[in-house]
Amino acid sequence: MTERERFIKALKREPIVGHCPTFELTFFLTLEAIGKIHPIHQVFHQWNQMSANEKKMHIDYCADVFIETAEKYHHSAIFVHPNPGDFDNTVRLLETIREKSGDKYFTMMHGDPTFSMPDGSNMMEFTERLYEDMDGLKKEARQNLDYYLRFAEKMAKREGLLDGFCLCSDYCFNVNPFFSPDMFSEIIAPYLKASLDAYRDMGFYSIKHTDGNIMPILDQMVQCGPDALHSLDPQGGVSMAEVKRLYGDKIALCGNVNCGLLQTGTLEQVAEDTRRSLREGMDGWGYIFCTSNCAYTGLPLERYELMNKIWWEEGIYK
Amino acid sequence: MVKELVQQAIDQGIPAQDILEQGLLSGMGMIGEKFKNNEVYVPEVLVAARAMNMGTALLKPLIAEAGIESVGKVCIGTVQGDLHDIGKNLVKMMMEGKGLEVIDLGTDVPPEKFVEAVVENGCQIICCSALLTTTMGVMEEVVKAVEAAGLRDKVKVMVGGAPVTDAYCQQIGADKYTADAASAADAAVELCRELAG
Repeated sequence: MTERERFIKALKREPIVGHCPTFELTFFLTLEAIGKIHPIHQVFHQWNQMSANEKKMHIDYCADVFIETAEKYHHSAIFVHPNPGDFDNTVRLLETIREKSGDKYFTMMHGDPTFSMPDGSNMMEFTERLYEDMDGLKKEARQNLDYYLRFAEKMAKREGLLDGFCLCSDYCFNVNPFFSPDMFSEIIAPYLKASLDAYRDMGFYSIKHTDGNIMPILDQMVQCGPDALHSLDPQGGVSMAEVKRLYGDKIALCGNVNCGLLQTGTLEQVAEDTRRSLREGMDGWGYIFCTSNCAYTGLPLERYELMNKIWWEEGIYK
Repeated sequence: MVKELVQQAIDQGIPAQDILEQGLLSGMGMIGEKFKNNEVYVPEVLVAARAMNMGTALLKPLIAEAGIESVGKVCIGTVQGDLHDIGKNLVKMMMEGKGLEVIDLGTDVPPEKFVEAVVENGCQIICCSALLTTTMGVMEEVVKAVEAAGLRDKVKVMVGGAPVTDAYCQQIGADKYTADAASAADAAVELCRELAG
């Protein structure tokens, strides 16, 4: 079984022999881990001035970063962050990854048309629109949806390149969602569902990510129909065991290893939380092991490697 | 609507402090309680704060004229290295809704800026926000900077944000952690009262 096949089986909540699959939404620590700069940390001011050969060398380099990271940590999926991020360069990057690693890895990229909760500078403006310009917001949501679906339709024609989309708009604080459940059902859920339905029809898998306390809107998110939910944020009070109890027969789960503990906990706490996540997640299939966010810039690499080592030694279906 | 009602109250000769405390702050307090109980969500809090601010704008000159002082002064900021501000802005709004004067230092605020703000403005409280696990360590530096400036017994340090916990607050020697914006505002009022003795 390839890593890609293992990942797909987990998304479908099917039994797996061997390791529970793992990946990260983003693994930023590439310079420390493999001696290469992460594509997001690279800036190509003169891209259009470059010769075709130089562009190809840069894309080769980016593909190597993703593949070598996956190889080193036994990831089953590569979350591609194309840079430059236009369609043609995204295709070239995916083609290069496939040329170099075949169908070994599940490939995915961003693809969330829904509104994220706003930042501090535009939270008031956005909120005013929720109350005073809902029609305008809906029009914008529709436009975003159309944009993402056009991209996906083009990508679907390039058969075998991309396996799925991860929808990464954040909806929740630690204590509760930004949107009330009623607002969520009006301005988020219809567009989330439409995108997930369309992705599925095009043959793509989907993972819906959001940090924070998802519980008040969890049912709506599940009803929208992603194949999996990520990141089951323990800092937002989300219990993977409880989510699994409620929806384990409908949806796969990803994440839940507490990023707060990875940063500031003791090594014993990291190990304990890793084992708890494996125990709760692997029970009944449909689990993809990963952090409760990503391997972000500044995370001590040795903490990630401890988590990864425990998974490698113990995250095995008997 | 709130603006009109506040103007109506002013025209009726109701003291500005009564309008502020029994009308606007009381209403905002109710919203804060509902927010803590998950009965309302952030957008409801934000529109309530907007309404309160419209009413407060009418009262400000009258309050200044009457020499009424705020409940206390807080300087708030997202710590150095962190650019996230929605949590900080929510806390600021909630604190203003409790009658506190809030000096917003913005995002990416180094420890010494918090101390400077305390000295310049006579703040009783420093309120530090962080969204990132990688930046929450700066909160400890803020506590140390306050100690180094000899202000530790005059200023309370509050901390909050997604990765922050009560245990972390205690570990770094800060004075108060709260899990949400409404609780932060309540705690700030209490701390100001404690300091006032």
